[in-house]
Amino acid sequence: MTSYCSFPFLFLFLPAVIVVYQLMPEKKRPYVLLAASYLFFWLISGTLLVFLLFTTVSIYSIGKRLDREGEKRDALLKTAPRDEKKAIRQLCQKKQRRWLALGIFLQLGILLTIKYSGFFVENMNQLLKWQQIEPLIKVPQFVMPIGISFYTLQAFSYLTDVYRGVTKAEPKLSRLALYMSFFPGLMEGPICRYRDMAEQLSAGGKITYHQLTYGVQRILYGMIKKVVIADRLNPLVQELFDSGTAYDGGLMFVALFAFTCQEYMEFSGTMDVVIGTAQIFGIKMQENFERPFFSRTISEFWRRWHITLGTWFKDYIFYPVSMAGPMKKLTKNTRKSLGSYYSPLLAGTVALFCVWSLNGLWHGAGWNYIGFGMFHFMLIVLGNFVEPPVAWAAEKIGLNRDSVPWRIFQMLRTAFLVGMGEVIFRASSLHQGVQMLKTMLTSFTLGSVKNGTLFTLGIDRHDFLITGVALFLVLAVSILQERGIKIRDYIAGRKTPVRWMIYYSAVLFVVVFGAYGNGYLPIDPIYAGF
Amino acid sequence: MEELMDILQEFEPGVDFEHCTDLIDGKILNSLEILSLVAEIEDVFDITIPTVEIVPDNFNSAQAMWNMICRLQEEE
Repeated sequence: MTSYCSFPFLFLFLPAVIVVYQLMPEKKRPYVLLAASYLFFWLISGTLLVFLLFTTVSIYSIGKRLDREGEKRDALLKTAPRDEKKAIRQLCQKKQRRWLALGIFLQLGILLTIKYSGFFVENMNQLLKWQQIEPLIKVPQFVMPIGISFYTLQAFSYLTDVYRGVTKAEPKLSRLALYMSFFPGLMEGPICRYRDMAEQLSAGGKITYHQLTYGVQRILYGMIKKVVIADRLNPLVQELFDSGTAYDGGLMFVALFAFTCQEYMEFSGTMDVVIGTAQIFGIKMQENFERPFFSRTISEFWRRWHITLGTWFKDYIFYPVSMAGPMKKLTKNTRKSLGSYYSPLLAGTVALFCVWSLNGLWHGAGWNYIGFGMFHFMLIVLGNFVEPPVAWAAEKIGLNRDSVPWRIFQMLRTAFLVGMGEVIFRASSLHQGVQMLKTMLTSFTLGSVKNGTLFTLGIDRHDFLITGVALFLVLAVSILQERGIKIRDYIAGRKTPVRWMIYYSAVLFVVVFGAYGNGYLPIDPIYAGF
Repeated sequence: MEELMDILQEFEPGVDFEHCTDLIDGKILNSLEILSLVAEIEDVFDITIPTVEIVPDNFNSAQAMWNMICRLQEEE
């Protein structure tokens, strides 16, 4: 079982879980989901399950301690005189902070050791080599448990929310364990918050016809994105990125376009399968994508792409950094001289630097990921700083910034800039990514397209045609969604023959045009590796 | 409450702050505007807004902001 779109998951594991879940009494159903989630984890990562168990038990215990300190504080505050209340609050907060620090240290300690120690030691060795110092430190190698980057962020948010009083600590270990391991989101997210999931996960409601059909429809749509588009583009993407700058600038642009499409289709398609799977069990997971390529700015793009990661960084990194004492002072002191737009921008930029450094590193331990983060950081900061002069200039020349042509220009510009970041992200190194972009911008030619080389790089004209049709289908669906049309509700309202014709057509589309079998190599779930 | 409404109106003149209840969820205020708003509120009402208070529930409407301000004033 290598992905949510694989045959064993969709045709063996998931149906078996559905049947067992439905046969069980309501109270036992959450346990079925928990057992299925641990089985799912074990089938992929085997005994590394102990890491997930350790994380779950540790945040369960620390969460309870945080809650207990909060209850003690509230009891003391009830009877304390007014002038002592502040001191009581501060004392309790100090104790809670210690517990929170321990919890975060444990969770991040595991993640840093397993995921980043190799990268850190490699760079240390390089530094030592430059100083001509021997012997070098042995690079540690660890096998990563599946989804560690995702469930660690969930653990972090759970503890912080209990500390902040946003949520109560979970008294039942099994319920917290299910939140941490719920199998649809285990591999690639979405990164859920405990307060959104707790009740739903323990409801144990019966699977209804509506849940099943809507869930399966969503899975099917995800399969079109993943199997028909992302997997079909895989040979082309591999060839272009493996060869680096061996091809001309025109093909580097194709690499940019193909990988950007592939990544979006793979990740958002998998999210469709994940959210559809959860929907079958009556569980609503948060959406991770909101048609990001309709964004007019990079900031907007990141509010629509990998939404749960973006909101996680906003709540647990951006605000704590930008609201820290010195940053607040900076905002206040510069408010009169810089105005209400530019004064928070200084503290915001410092916070954004932290967010994007960590965002890059979260995606992987490599300089190309850090480069990817810094690329987006610079674009966002630049966009923020030039916004007032651009608005002023637009007004002066009478440009309507809400006109359709201008909006289309902004969308294409944003998509192109995002694509440039994706090249750095996908390249084997930061150097290769930069070289590919350089080739694209300095030696752009359509020669390889005109002489047919493009159709010899892993996928032929036939593949391009199928990919184009499927991309057009996704674009049409996205435009309708952007206009607020609920397509599944619309289809559900049609007469039975029409409805089933649409369903069968979608199934046949995946079966006939899916890129599987001999000659095709499905891509590994890109985000599962993070 | 009037003082708060003045701050908000100065901030985003076109928004109906009296009735709007999704200032954050509806993406009317972005994170940088929140930073500026927090600085202004802290100055005018002489309070400190800790990070834990920066949640959509406290900023989705003028009334929610006012409730937070009153609570923090009481706690100071």
